[in-house]
Amino acid sequence: MKSYDVLVIGGGPAGLAAAVSAHKNGAKTLLVEREARLGGILKQCIHDGFGLVRFGEKLSGPEYAERFVDMFREEKIEALLLTFVTRIEKTEDGFKVVLVNRDGVEPVFTKSLILATGCRERTAKQVAIHGTRPAGVFTAGSAQHFTNLLGQLPTKRCVILGSGDIGLIMARRLTLEGAEVVGVYEAKPTPSGLTRNIHQCLHDYNIPLYLSHTVTRVFGQDRLEQVEISKVDENMQPIAGTEEIIDCDALILSVGLIPENELAETLGVKLDPKTKGPICDGQLMTSVDGIFSCGNALHVNDLVDYVSESGEEAGKNAAVYARKERKLLPVEASPALLYAVPQVLDLNKENKETVVYFRSRNPLTACTFKILVDGEEVFKKNYPFLRPPEMERLQIDFDSFHLTEHSKISLDIEVKDHA
Amino acid sequence: MRELVCIVCPRGCTMHIDGEGENITVTGNTCKRGAQFAISEMTKPMRTICTTVRTIFPEVPVLPVRVSEEIPKNKIFDVMQEINKTVLSKPVGRGDVVISKVCGLSADIIATSNVLNEMNKQGEKK
Amino acid sequence: MNVNVKKINKKLQERFGNAVHARLQNGSIVVSGHLSSWADTITACQMAATKYSTVHVVNNIICDEAKEQKMRVPSLKDDALDGRQPDILIIGGGISGVSIARELSKWNLDILLLEKEADLALQASGRNDGEVHPGIDLSKGSKKHYYIRKGNAMYDEVCKELDVPFKRVGQYVGFTNIYFKPFVALYCLLRKKRDGIWDTKLISGEELKRLEPNFSKDFKFAISNPTSGCVCPYGLTIAYAENAVQNGAEVALNSAVLSMKVENGEIKSVETNRGTIYPRLVINAAGVFSDDIAEMANDRFFSIHPRRGTNSILDKKAGAFMHSIASIKEIKVSKTHSKGGGILHTVHDNLLVGPDAIETYEKENVETHKESIATVFEKQKKTMPRLSERDIITYFTGVRAPTFEEDFIIESGRRTKNIIHCAGIQSPGLTTAPAVALDIEKMAVDFLKKEKDVTRNESFNPIRKGVPVLNEMSDEERNALIKQNPDYGVIVCRCEEISKGEILDALRSPICVPTVDGIKKRIRPGMGRCQGGFCAPLVTQIIADFLGVPLSEVKKSSAESPMTFGRTK
Repeated sequence: MKSYDVLVIGGGPAGLAAAVSAHKNGAKTLLVEREARLGGILKQCIHDGFGLVRFGEKLSGPEYAERFVDMFREEKIEALLLTFVTRIEKTEDGFKVVLVNRDGVEPVFTKSLILATGCRERTAKQVAIHGTRPAGVFTAGSAQHFTNLLGQLPTKRCVILGSGDIGLIMARRLTLEGAEVVGVYEAKPTPSGLTRNIHQCLHDYNIPLYLSHTVTRVFGQDRLEQVEISKVDENMQPIAGTEEIIDCDALILSVGLIPENELAETLGVKLDPKTKGPICDGQLMTSVDGIFSCGNALHVNDLVDYVSESGEEAGKNAAVYARKERKLLPVEASPALLYAVPQVLDLNKENKETVVYFRSRNPLTACTFKILVDGEEVFKKNYPFLRPPEMERLQIDFDSFHLTEHSKISLDIEVKDHA
Repeated sequence: MRELVCIVCPRGCTMHIDGEGENITVTGNTCKRGAQFAISEMTKPMRTICTTVRTIFPEVPVLPVRVSEEIPKNKIFDVMQEINKTVLSKPVGRGDVVISKVCGLSADIIATSNVLNEMNKQGEKK
Repeated sequence: MNVNVKKINKKLQERFGNAVHARLQNGSIVVSGHLSSWADTITACQMAATKYSTVHVVNNIICDEAKEQKMRVPSLKDDALDGRQPDILIIGGGISGVSIARELSKWNLDILLLEKEADLALQASGRNDGEVHPGIDLSKGSKKHYYIRKGNAMYDEVCKELDVPFKRVGQYVGFTNIYFKPFVALYCLLRKKRDGIWDTKLISGEELKRLEPNFSKDFKFAISNPTSGCVCPYGLTIAYAENAVQNGAEVALNSAVLSMKVENGEIKSVETNRGTIYPRLVINAAGVFSDDIAEMANDRFFSIHPRRGTNSILDKKAGAFMHSIASIKEIKVSKTHSKGGGILHTVHDNLLVGPDAIETYEKENVETHKESIATVFEKQKKTMPRLSERDIITYFTGVRAPTFEEDFIIESGRRTKNIIHCAGIQSPGLTTAPAVALDIEKMAVDFLKKEKDVTRNESFNPIRKGVPVLNEMSDEERNALIKQNPDYGVIVCRCEEISKGEILDALRSPICVPTVDGIKKRIRPGMGRCQGGFCAPLVTQIIADFLGVPLSEVKKSSAESPMTFGRTK
């Protein structure tokens, strides 16, 4: 059986960064990707805006991805493309990973594992849309695949549900390709996507955005013919009597992303119900020793730059990973936070430069992010504003707080004023 | 008066813009960059466009491209039309110019992916 | 059987005044008149009907609500079937029609099966929970009861022959009130001894807890039927049809019966959207439309009243919560006829929750409604508190085809001689289908023999091999297959782990349905938690390449359901 120090599952931006970083830290590394090309979902994200933090440039998805692919290739790291992980078994000193590809079924051994499996899109049925089951109901990602990779127009006149960034981007993209976007409908009272995208993808093309509205039913036996739109109340429940029927041939859904952790779960990796990703320590190691998580499989990021960053962190730590007793201290996030990563700290490791990612639960202005140890404030940072669509990143020296296993550490946001 | 939500930073200030031409005044912004953005939006808004160009290769029917620099917002659909007329019959690489000085502007249309080159290399190996 | 029409009319008079009345005509109770609501129409017909009776109610009431219901007919028009003179014309490509076709293919007969939809099992046969029932709710005297144990017992062999997964997972009906135990014990004894439901037994709450630890702690005891099983209902339908085709039968999809020419009590010809057919014998297995077909054949002695049911499919993660078929029995007067839903662990390890039962005049309306799901979940959470709507990955509606007597009709025409009806088939019609098919085979062969001899098809092969399921194989088996065909190693659907090789196999199967749904039904890409989000474009591309057509020619299902509208440029 072939043997590796680090095996990375997923060849998107997180996996590529993880593999490069693991390799540079001296690990014998294998990257496994189920598609024929590296780059992950960025291959179809042909719009620009990637890489501003990392490269100081506005790159398109393929350009950003291929920069990492180039780095990966320069390092001559081993990669298996069109290869699927069918099963992982824990062994005494690592993991047996069973791979399937055109050559057959092959088990390989690895000391540590990085899960860079990205996320999937929530579907129509998961947001309780009822009615018929016609052709023309797409997730934004599927519509993007058809349009940008296959060069096929998935709609001539569509409704977009959800104001997530992919939905906004697709509104512009389809308009550019000659389709009519009747409107973008969002059940929440605030948009889910970035302001920049609302401006440049909707306003520029006179596409209306309807907040506190949702699609409740679809009609059409063969291809989609109509959708029913309803206003929703503050609990996001449709209000009877507000229904409106709109003619369209497609419904495109941008209603949320779910980190993919089904493989992780088979190994007993514990998930955080808030992020839907694994509970990780400052080294991005999950609850199972030797398994690391990064990118959108860890939590849904707003910028790909942070996806790569977490990949690099996971790659480095997986490379130097040695089986050692962990002393875990939970990091509690108050309800003012939508979530925070990492969820635990390993006191047996160095936590001097730990990167914390978090999102606020609600849009806030003039607020203070705080770290409390046993009720005492040990760190604070003022923010003029915090918005849930935008993720925040901080580097914290946790070691300076003199934590012990009996410490109680919590993160909070103090609000002076609601936005 | 026009209202504009600033997109320079995530803060998203709501700005109010008065006047025309040389005499534009911006209020509601909390930084200089916001005012600059508002003025450029009112005088000569510029945009990047990203799209695809058709190829003759069935494995890669379209190749992603973008403009090499921002173009005037009102030229977007003219440029799209020009791009949609083009068909690539041989592989180009990332950064290669697909259409130079599109619609008489100073911007080129450049490929943003190496996928055609990769396909070509794989074809040679076979 | 004696029917007291006077008594029926008295009841109808009391309830509906002079709006409706019943009369005995050609051995059926014909209810006619005028009502505004469908609910009243159903009530009136039910008042006239006797459960399991062979004197059927024919609904001739003009109902304002239900006006202008027409069967959807495929847009396809050609003469591909024009002038055909099959020995047997089977109408309907559901489980009944295809199982009959397969059994009849044991004989040297020209068999033609028509299905109006773009694929088999697109109506009730593909829209049910796939339970192979034990018959615990059936007492002697009905056709349902007559066939249930025979059908149930045949499943192991049929599924083995047809290479279809089938598991006897067992069914539990749980009770929360201990005081009912003596009555339920007596009920079980009757079922077991009198009605031959031999596997029935009563188990304690503790026993149930041991078997299914996630079930409600409130269960005091349960009826257990270990022979209950589950099967993939559309998988079995397709398998039966493929085996029939392998043995010489013909299946024509997108082919609808529009009318018939009947002379002297005999069907002379059958008009379809693909030409006129001249069959010797017609088999009516048309599901919700079986009364319309009977009407065309001048032999309408029963009526179908469609009853809708919605099921939810839960993520495989929830599949680990339980491993059987279960429901809670609440002792109270229930207005619904069919079982009020349950939880079922499918052969593919998902959970299925439902169905409910709602009377409807719309035979083909399979829209889902959120109320259906809410009702079923509210009830079934009492069976298993861990059940959560959050685990739903999709839901679907099917329309059952009951008669007002709530029994099957398996008999030759009453007024028209060359027709056999296999009608009124609803739950447990999937369970009974293998046994019913054998009886109809005999009826059909006996009928045809009257005219000329019918000989055995010596080359009949009961074995059908399905597309290999690689993710269920051992590593060694899987490896060996990939070495033979590397496409088996290219995973296209990551949720269900389906390879390109399997998709190509399905495209080359005996009844090729080269649509996204056709492939999904046969080998499951798109059935998983992402619901085709990732694989739909890939599957579309593989179909286009296989057919050698542009991508925009690939359909989701029917001819009018394109996936895309052509090139962007």
